[in-house]
Amino acid sequence: METTAPKIRGISPDETLEACARQIIVNYFHQMMSYKDGAKAGNDIEFVHEMRVTSRRLRTAMDNFLDCFPEKAFNKHYKKVKSITRTLGAVRDLDVLIARFEKELDTLSEAEQADLRRLIEHLQREREDTRKPMLKLFAKLEAAGFETEFLKFFSR
Amino acid sequence: MAKAHKIMGVKPLRSYRENARIILSQKVEEVYTWEPFIQDAARREELHNMRISIKRLRYTMELFRLAYGSPKIHSGEVTMADNKRFTEFLKVIVDLQEILGDIHDCDVVLEILTDYGTQSEQATLTPGIAKLITQARETRNADYKTFLAKWEQLSAANFKHQLLSFFGAARKPKTRY
Repeated sequence: METTAPKIRGISPDETLEACARQIIVNYFHQMMSYKDGAKAGNDIEFVHEMRVTSRRLRTAMDNFLDCFPEKAFNKHYKKVKSITRTLGAVRDLDVLIARFEKELDTLSEAEQADLRRLIEHLQREREDTRKPMLKLFAKLEAAGFETEFLKFFSR
Repeated sequence: MAKAHKIMGVKPLRSYRENARIILSQKVEEVYTWEPFIQDAARREELHNMRISIKRLRYTMELFRLAYGSPKIHSGEVTMADNKRFTEFLKVIVDLQEILGDIHDCDVVLEILTDYGTQSEQATLTPGIAKLITQARETRNADYKTFLAKWEQLSAANFKHQLLSFFGAARKPKTRY
């Protein structure tokens, strides 16, 4: 189930698109980053889900508002958001599969359950491996000051 | 996954309201580029791409909601009827996204189960995996039929035209009824 769109405050339909685009992008960015610590901790799968969905919303906004910004610098930030979506997507896909198969266990006989449990364990190992590139990306972006740079560019 | 179509004709120094019309109509057209493929249940990739385009349309509608009013805010140009219609259109888009999402989930599950089943040391699929493959195929078929029926119903009601006409109306301030 998808989350509802973050509220966009402080814009008026009669303002220029450029002014609104900045507010919307900054708003979505803050929302996306608010899930980062939870996604890193990995105890609750919803943080990865929420962060991924918000990163997709942010990308759609950026696709639509591309012409409002200088292209070269814009693309640099866009690529980073895209890499966030991609790395979160790999983890989320496995979370969804594991949750779905765990639910299916009840529909199977004991012997059939053993087959599925082996598959779930296999996917759980894969999930742990998939989290590593995600954590590495977050660390890289933090070291490069991504958040500050992004906000500096779009908050002007 | 297909890339988002490049949006043409955006005017950064014109209003958000005016650009809503320009951008939303192109997002609708992007969705309909996948329509020629949907009668074939085996076109997994194209059905997936349609889902992604529908998702982009949904998120863009949410971005431009204020151009058509919001449940709590009405400017002089936007009526309650606009709010209501916008919400109804958005609901249809979300429904389509969800049913295509269910189809895609089944496709992913089938791929995982088949790969896993054929990678194991045994020559044949284990009973548990075989049963899940059967269940996922049945669910996928049912979901696809639901999607197609919904799409045909919308086509009969000229949904695309309704959507484009409604979005186009954001350009000019409207007269109150």
